[in-house]
Amino acid sequence: MRPWSRSTFAIVVGSVLLGVMPALDQAGAQPKPIKIGEINSYSGVATPYTFPYKEGMALATKEINDAGGVLGRPLEFIHRDDKLKPDEAVKAARELVLQDKVDFLAGCISSGVGLAISAYAKDAKVLYFATHCQTSRLTWDDGHRYVAHTTNNVNQYVRVAAKKAASLPIKKWANISPDYEYGHNMWEEFSTYLKKLKPEVEFVQLNWPKLGESDHSSYITALLQSGAEGLFSSVWGSQSIAFVKQARPFGLFEKMRYVAPSVGNPDELDPLGKEAPVGAIATPFAWYDPGLNKLHPNLAAWSKKYTEWAKEKGLKDPSPKLGGSWGYASAYIIAEAIKRAKSTDPEKVIGALGEGFEMDFPWGKVVMRGCDQQALPPQWIGVVKMDAQGKPVAAEIEEVQGKDVVRSCDEVKELRAAAAAKQKK
Amino acid sequence: MDFVTSLFPWITNGPLIVVQVMSGLSVAMFLFLVSVGMSLIFGVTRIVNLAHGSFYMVGAYLMVTLVETLPEHAVSFWIALVLAPIGVGLLGGVIEVTLLRRIYHREPLLQLILTFGLILVIGTLVLLVWGPDNKSVARPDALAGSLKILGQPFPLYYLLVLGLAPVVAIGLWLTFYRTRWGMLIRAATVDREMLGALGVDVATLYTQVFMFGSWLAGLGGALSAPTVAVALGMDGDVLTTAFVVVVIGGLGSFAGSFISALLVGELQSFGILVFPAVSIVLLFAIMAVVLIVRPWGLLGRPEE
Repeated sequence: MRPWSRSTFAIVVGSVLLGVMPALDQAGAQPKPIKIGEINSYSGVATPYTFPYKEGMALATKEINDAGGVLGRPLEFIHRDDKLKPDEAVKAARELVLQDKVDFLAGCISSGVGLAISAYAKDAKVLYFATHCQTSRLTWDDGHRYVAHTTNNVNQYVRVAAKKAASLPIKKWANISPDYEYGHNMWEEFSTYLKKLKPEVEFVQLNWPKLGESDHSSYITALLQSGAEGLFSSVWGSQSIAFVKQARPFGLFEKMRYVAPSVGNPDELDPLGKEAPVGAIATPFAWYDPGLNKLHPNLAAWSKKYTEWAKEKGLKDPSPKLGGSWGYASAYIIAEAIKRAKSTDPEKVIGALGEGFEMDFPWGKVVMRGCDQQALPPQWIGVVKMDAQGKPVAAEIEEVQGKDVVRSCDEVKELRAAAAAKQKK
Repeated sequence: MDFVTSLFPWITNGPLIVVQVMSGLSVAMFLFLVSVGMSLIFGVTRIVNLAHGSFYMVGAYLMVTLVETLPEHAVSFWIALVLAPIGVGLLGGVIEVTLLRRIYHREPLLQLILTFGLILVIGTLVLLVWGPDNKSVARPDALAGSLKILGQPFPLYYLLVLGLAPVVAIGLWLTFYRTRWGMLIRAATVDREMLGALGVDVATLYTQVFMFGSWLAGLGGALSAPTVAVALGMDGDVLTTAFVVVVIGGLGSFAGSFISALLVGELQSFGILVFPAVSIVLLFAIMAVVLIVRPWGLLGRPEE
């Protein structure tokens, strides 16, 4: 028998494959997943925050898909590492859109990364859900229809802290914040809102150590001299731990009330241990707080479910984290927006977001506001205390609704107009 | 006087000024400990060791591990404080023998690239070994509190630093000016070829000096561990400060490092009080002024 020529072979194999393929497609009558390209920092210093976030997201995705998915299709997140760099993030976004053909983009822990992906999304006309970074510029100054923000922004929790500060019998406030955009933003928001609520306050000794400064003793002695009765701080992470450890033996926290949004989180309280700043006012996610659990009866069950899930996935610290709750909420909010649009067409989903909606989570109600596509979740404020075992925790938790403190839609419009005018110049 | 007090109201507050001066001094002593090793290594080997901050970081991380593993006892902290810098010294020895030894005679750029590469390698290794979470070392109970100085609390732990750094400084001086080894090191900073020609084993001397410099960096890291968060990135922060102190004092001069550390520590302490808005620039402003007046640093020698 004459062997097949190369071209015959190609034709035969080719047609067999072509014939089989549609059959394969039907055999796996599985509906096509809704793909979301998720870009975040999954290596290096940010992983204590992003790993819990990713597992929260995975837990929610599993629940959504077990319950039949969205529009009958499963939800699928494709994760990419941005290495905390805006250019890496944009490269990943482009690949996800062009090669992986994702329907939506999501992610960010660094504000710089979030703004970069947002700018790409605007150009590419892909809807981007910012999930983990917190700058208010995302949906306000630099906001546009292709970006939505599924977690709170800086403005909300700083205003909650400022409101609490206004209720204290303190007139003279000092500041210590890292000298970069976030630090200046925080102080600006805090001081202006506090002044608005309580015009008689005075601001003294504004300190701007560099981001990541390790030795604050000169700032601390300067603060001691300032005569301030209250100290606002937006140093965070390792810098916050260093500051507290250095300030305590100088007696700084006895001289002035410490208000520091980040210091109530376990990633700062646990390393501080017995050196934690007892009495400090913070804005933590205190899932363990009895008062909060009374307010939200489903929270305990969720905390247990999340902890088991995180343990199974091998997280070193499987206890609930703010990041975990954010990943969880973000997946549900994205799913809800698609459900309401009854389509994965970005324009239709933007339409659904524009109408705004509310969702109930184990920790309370989250409002997705239509005018700026910005989430307004509940905010908490509490005081650092030692528990019965001598472990520092955030206690006396009070809940404030984000919608009660956040800038109004009209104010956001003004911000956007001002930003647009600035750009024209 | 009225004019002065209205401008600087704190000037009238004696006790607070004393605390301010003392905290400036303790900053200075930390600066001295981390920078003198860098200066020493440069003086002898002519290598600007950019990985000096990384050795400091490893010292702090070793401190964390040692304090965690040693049984809970009052002396554990002190044992850890002795062992951690020795560990860093040994690491420095390994790096000198395997890598740096090969590039002493090459152009400075290559040396900078190698030590810069070491920053990245050590940084990644620390991430792999200790993970990305912030770590912390508690102060030993005896030094956890504060001492009242004229009614103002001052951290006891800083007193330890205030005491220890001058001891190190005097020890260094005695070593350099009263021992044969110190004499050889001083000779090496002046003319290493001649020293080799006289039959001294310069290669071993270099290794010893590098280990000693690394030990000093490790001591700085171990000593500062209880006052900071032990975290990735602490290497870069220290490197910049140490480098500036060394440059102000004059590369290779030990007394220069000491004076420069004092100057920077106190100026920073009072600078923040007067100009809080520009505190980031202060350090570099001091360096710029010194370099304009004396390009080779306060006690450095002009290069021929």
